[in-house]
Amino acid sequence: MIIQDINYAFRLLSKKPAFTVLTTLVMAVGIGVSVYMFSFFNTILYKDLPFEDGASLVVINASVNGTHDNEKLSLHDFNEIKNNVNGLSEFSSYYNTDVIVSSKDGARRFPAIISEPNMFALTRVKPLLGRSYNQAESNAGAEKVVVIGYDIWQNQFAGNDNVIDKLMRLNGENYRVIGVMPEDYFFPNIAQLWLPNTENVAQISRKDANSVHGLAHIVDGNSIADIDGQLNLVMQRIKQQYPETNNGLSAYAVSIPGSGASDGQPVIYTMHIVAILILILASINVGNLLLSRAVERSKETAIRVALGAPRSRLISQMLWESIIICSLGGIIGLLVMAWGLEVTETIVATFFTDPPAFWWKFGLDSYTITLFFIIVFSTIIVTGLLPAWKNSGGDFNAVLRDGTRGALSKKSGRVNKMLVISEIFISMTVLIAAAVMVFASYTQSRADIGAETKNILNASVVLPNSKYPSEQEQVQFVKTLTSLIENSTGIGEVIIASALPGNFSYETSFAIDGFEYTEQSALSYPVMNYVAVMPGSLDKLGVELKQGRYFNSGDDGLDKKSVIVTESFAIKYFNETSAIGKRVRTVSSDNNIDWLTIVGVVETTLHGERETQNFPSVYRPFTQAPRNKLTIAMKMTASQALATKTLRKTMASIDAELPSFKIETYQQSVERITAPITFISNLTALFALAAVVLAASGIYGVMSNTINQRTHEIGIKRALGADEQLITKEFLLAGLKLLLWGGIPGLLAGGFMGFGMSQMFGTDHSVLIIIATLMTILVGSVVLLATYLPTQRALIVEPSQALHYQ
Amino acid sequence: MTNTLIKLDNIKKIFFTDEVETHALSNISLTINKGEYVSISGPSGCGKSTLLSLLGLLDTSTSGQYILSTHDVSSISKKQRAHIRNKEIGFIFQSFNLISDLDVEENVELPLTYRHDLTKVQRKEMVKNALEKVNMAHRAKHFPSQLSGGQQQRVAVARAIAGDPSIILADEPTGNLDSENAQAVMALLASLHAEGATICMVTHDPRSAERADRNIDILDGQIVSDKSTSKNSVEAA
Ligand SMILES: Nc1ncnc2c1ncn2[C@@H]1O[C@H](COP(=O)(O)OP(=O)(O)OP(=O)(O)O)[C@@H](O)[C@H]1O
Ligand SMILES: [Mg+2]
Repeated sequence: MIIQDINYAFRLLSKKPAFTVLTTLVMAVGIGVSVYMFSFFNTILYKDLPFEDGASLVVINASVNGTHDNEKLSLHDFNEIKNNVNGLSEFSSYYNTDVIVSSKDGARRFPAIISEPNMFALTRVKPLLGRSYNQAESNAGAEKVVVIGYDIWQNQFAGNDNVIDKLMRLNGENYRVIGVMPEDYFFPNIAQLWLPNTENVAQISRKDANSVHGLAHIVDGNSIADIDGQLNLVMQRIKQQYPETNNGLSAYAVSIPGSGASDGQPVIYTMHIVAILILILASINVGNLLLSRAVERSKETAIRVALGAPRSRLISQMLWESIIICSLGGIIGLLVMAWGLEVTETIVATFFTDPPAFWWKFGLDSYTITLFFIIVFSTIIVTGLLPAWKNSGGDFNAVLRDGTRGALSKKSGRVNKMLVISEIFISMTVLIAAAVMVFASYTQSRADIGAETKNILNASVVLPNSKYPSEQEQVQFVKTLTSLIENSTGIGEVIIASALPGNFSYETSFAIDGFEYTEQSALSYPVMNYVAVMPGSLDKLGVELKQGRYFNSGDDGLDKKSVIVTESFAIKYFNETSAIGKRVRTVSSDNNIDWLTIVGVVETTLHGERETQNFPSVYRPFTQAPRNKLTIAMKMTASQALATKTLRKTMASIDAELPSFKIETYQQSVERITAPITFISNLTALFALAAVVLAASGIYGVMSNTINQRTHEIGIKRALGADEQLITKEFLLAGLKLLLWGGIPGLLAGGFMGFGMSQMFGTDHSVLIIIATLMTILVGSVVLLATYLPTQRALIVEPSQALHYQ
Repeated sequence: MTNTLIKLDNIKKIFFTDEVETHALSNISLTINKGEYVSISGPSGCGKSTLLSLLGLLDTSTSGQYILSTHDVSSISKKQRAHIRNKEIGFIFQSFNLISDLDVEENVELPLTYRHDLTKVQRKEMVKNALEKVNMAHRAKHFPSQLSGGQQQRVAVARAIAGDPSIILADEPTGNLDSENAQAVMALLASLHAEGATICMVTHDPRSAERADRNIDILDGQIVSDKSTSKNSVEAA
C-alpha cells in the first residue's frame, strides 16, 4: 500500500517536472539557508568546548555600566567572587599576553596565557609530555617555567621527546619547559604558551595587580541568570567599599564561545530570525504550490472518497509528495551548505592575524546534522499537512455537486489570505532588518578614518620590559629604527605610533581642566583613545591640521607635556571657544596629575570598531610618553617585498631577539576591522535577497491562483455591468487590505529589529525611517503588481468565456 | 418603428481556436420588439448561447450590425458595453451564478452598486421590491449555499429585474431545476412578461417554449424558423 502511494506520488511529480524542480529548489534554498545560519552561529558561539564538562565551563568578566564587553576583573574583585559565589566551583583565572620567543631562526611573537595552575584541570586535559605548573612555581621569585603548545613543540623543538627541562628564551629571559599540551589545545582561545601568574592577592595591592578573566564550572542546577545574580550581589558589596574604582562595575558569566558575541546580540538574533523566517517562507510556498495542485485534483479526490477510499490513504499520498520534495530539496540544500561552510572557514580566517579560536571548525558536525533532520521533518509536516488538511476536511458532497466552488473555495480563500499576509509580514520584517544592517556595514566600511592608507606597509613591534625597561631606551630604539629605515631604499617616510587611525588604540579616562567630575570613580570620566605618535607622523599620515600646530622637535623630551586633540574632541568639549591652550590629564589610580596642554586640533580620526560610539582621540608625542607596543608604518616607494625585507634586516641589526609581526598593508589592517561586519552583512543581504525572491514569487503565486479561481466570479460581475476599472479597483483594494494586515505588523517587527541594530551600529534613526519607507514601497509594489497582473489577465477574455470558466 | 428594441443585421460569429474556425453563428438577422417574450431552441451546439451572449453584449460579433434601442452597439468600447449591460440587460443563467460570499440581498443589490445615480436608500428599496416580486424577501439574509436550487434561481431572477432592464436574457433558466421548481420559475417569467417585460429565453424544453409568444429555432448557427405560438395567435385573434 505504501509502495503504491509512493509510486503514485512519484508519478504525479514526474508528470509536472517544472513544478517539481521549482518546489525542490525553493525547499533547497529554505533548508540550506537556515541550517547554514544555525550551524555558523553554533560553531562560533554556542558549541560546547571539546573537553569533558566543557558545557559547564564559564568565563567571568567585568561588565562596565551594563555592557558585556569581555572586560577583565581586578584580581581582588575576582578573589571576592571566588569566596562568595556558591553556584560556581573550581575557580581559576587568566589573562592574555604576547610572548616573544627567540631561537636560532630569529624572534617570533606568540599569543600566550598567564594563569593560575589549576586552569588546565578545569579543562580536564593533561599535558602530552611533562606536567603543568604548580602552586610553588606561581610564587613571585620562583624559577621561570613554561608549558608549550603542540605547534611550538613541533616547530621550535622538532617534536623532540626530550624537550622537558630544556630552556627557552621568552621575552629575552630563560624559561624552563615543563610540559607540552596535546595537539589542538589552545585554551582558552588561541594560546600557544602558558605561564604561571605570580601575582597573589595577599602580596599585591589592589591597584598594582593585573586584571584577570575568571574561570569556573557552573554547579549543576544553577542557570547563568542565577550566577549573574550572585555575581551582581558580590560586586555591589565591593562597590560600597571601593566606590572610586568600582562605581559602574559588575560581573557576568558567559560560556567561552558565547563571549564572542559580547554586545553583538541584536545582529545574532536578527540573523537567526531571518533564517527561521526564510524557512517558513519556503515551507509556505511549497505548501501552497502543493495545495493549489490539490485543489486542481479536488474533484478527483472527491470521486475517490465517494468510491470508498479511506481518508488516511489520501493524506498518505499527499504526504509522500511533500516527503519527496522536502527530502530532495533538503539534500541539495545540505550539499550546497556544506560547501558554504567550507568557504566560510577560509573567509573567517582572514578576519584575524592570529588563527581563529580553536573551536571554530565549520562543517557538518553532529549538531548540524541533527538540526538538518529536524528541519526537514518540520518542513514535511508543514508542506504536507497544509494541503492534506485543506483537501480532506472539505465537504466532498459539495465538491461533487458544484465543481470546485462552494464551501471548499471559501476555506481555501481564507487560507490563501493567511498565506499572503504571512509572506508580506515576513518579507517586510526581513527586508527592513537586512537593509539596516547592510546600510550600517556599508557606512562603516566607507567611514573616513582620518588618515591616508595608500601604499603604506605596517608592522607591529613589542619592546619587552626586560630589555627596554626605561623610557629613554624605548625612545632611543624608535629614533634609531626610524632613521635606519628612512634611509633604506624602497622606503620613503616612516611613521611610528602606538596605534594608527583605523586600528584599535589604548583607551583611557581623561579629565579636562575646568570641568567638574562629581562621582569619585574613574568610570565617570570621559574615555578617549590615547595615542602616542612620533612628531611628524600625523602630517605624514595626512591627518589634517585644523587649528594650532603639529608636534615638532620642540616637543621632544620626557619632561614636556603637550597633546593634540581631534576635532571631535574640540567640538564636544570646547564648542564655543578654541581648544588650543586648554589642559587635560589622564585619570589613573596612582593620582598622577600632570596637566597636558593642547597645542593643536586635527581632523577626527577613528580607532577600532566603527560600530560603537567612537571616542575622541588624544595624541601625545612618543618622545614624551613612549609605549612598548608600537606600529611602524612605512611609505613604500618600491615593492612590498622589498619593504618587508628592509624592515626585517634593519630590525635584526638593532636587536636580533626582537620580532616584527602583523606585517601587512595599512589598507589590509583597516579593512580587517570591518571585514566581519561586512561578511555578516553580505550574508544577510544574500539571505534577504533569497527571502524576497521567495516571498515575491510566493505572493505572486498565491494571488494569481486566487484571482484565477475567481475568474468565474469576475465573469458574473462583468455580466451584471461591472467594467474593467471597477473590477481592477476591487481586487487592488483587496490586495491593499492584505498589504495592511501583513505590512503593519511586519513594519513593527522589522522596525523593532532594525531599531536594535541601529542602536548598536549608531545609525541615525532617520535612516531607519527611510529604509522602512522604501521597503514598504517595495513590498507594496510587489503585492499590487501581483494583484494587478493576474487581474488584467483574467479581464482579457470576454465575459461570455469567463462565465464558462470552471 | 419606435417599438423595436433589438435589431440584428447579418450577424456572424466565428471562434478561432488552434487554427480551427468554428462558425457558431452565420448571417443572423433578427428583430425583437418591446414587450415580446421570445424563446430560442435548437440542438446542442447550434449557437443558442452564443447568440444570447451577443444580445447581452457579453461578447462581440465577428461581423454584422447590432442596434439596441436606436443605438448602434456593434463597435462600442468595453466600458460602454459594461454600462449598457448594467442598465439595459438582466441575465438569468442556467447555473444561477449567484456569488457565494454575498447574501441574497447583497447579490440582488450588486448590479445596482455599479450605478452612480442611485442612493443607498433607493437601492435598498429596489432590492426589496425585486425580492418581493419573486417571493424571496423572507430569505434576504441567507447565503446562496443555504437555498435550494429553485430558490437560488428566483434570487437570480430578482437580481436580473432589480435594475428595471429593457430586456431579460435567460439561458436555460430551468435547466438545473426539477419540474416543480422549473414550473415556478417559468410562472415567474410569465408574470413578469404580463407586467410588460421583454424576455428572450434559450430553452430545450418544449413546454417552456410554449409559454413564449414567439419561438425561434436555430440549426447550425442559422435561424431556421421564427413563428408566433398558437396560444398567442389565439389570444391575438
Ligand atoms: N469560446 C469558444 N471558443 C471556441 N468555440 C466555441 C466557444 N464558445 C462556443 N463555441 C462553439 O460554438 C458553437 C456554439 O456554441 P454554443 O455554446 O452557442 O451552443 P449552444 O447552442 O448553446 O449549445 P447547448 O445547447 O449545448 O448549450 C459550438 O460548436 C461551440 O463548440
Ligand atoms: Mg448553451
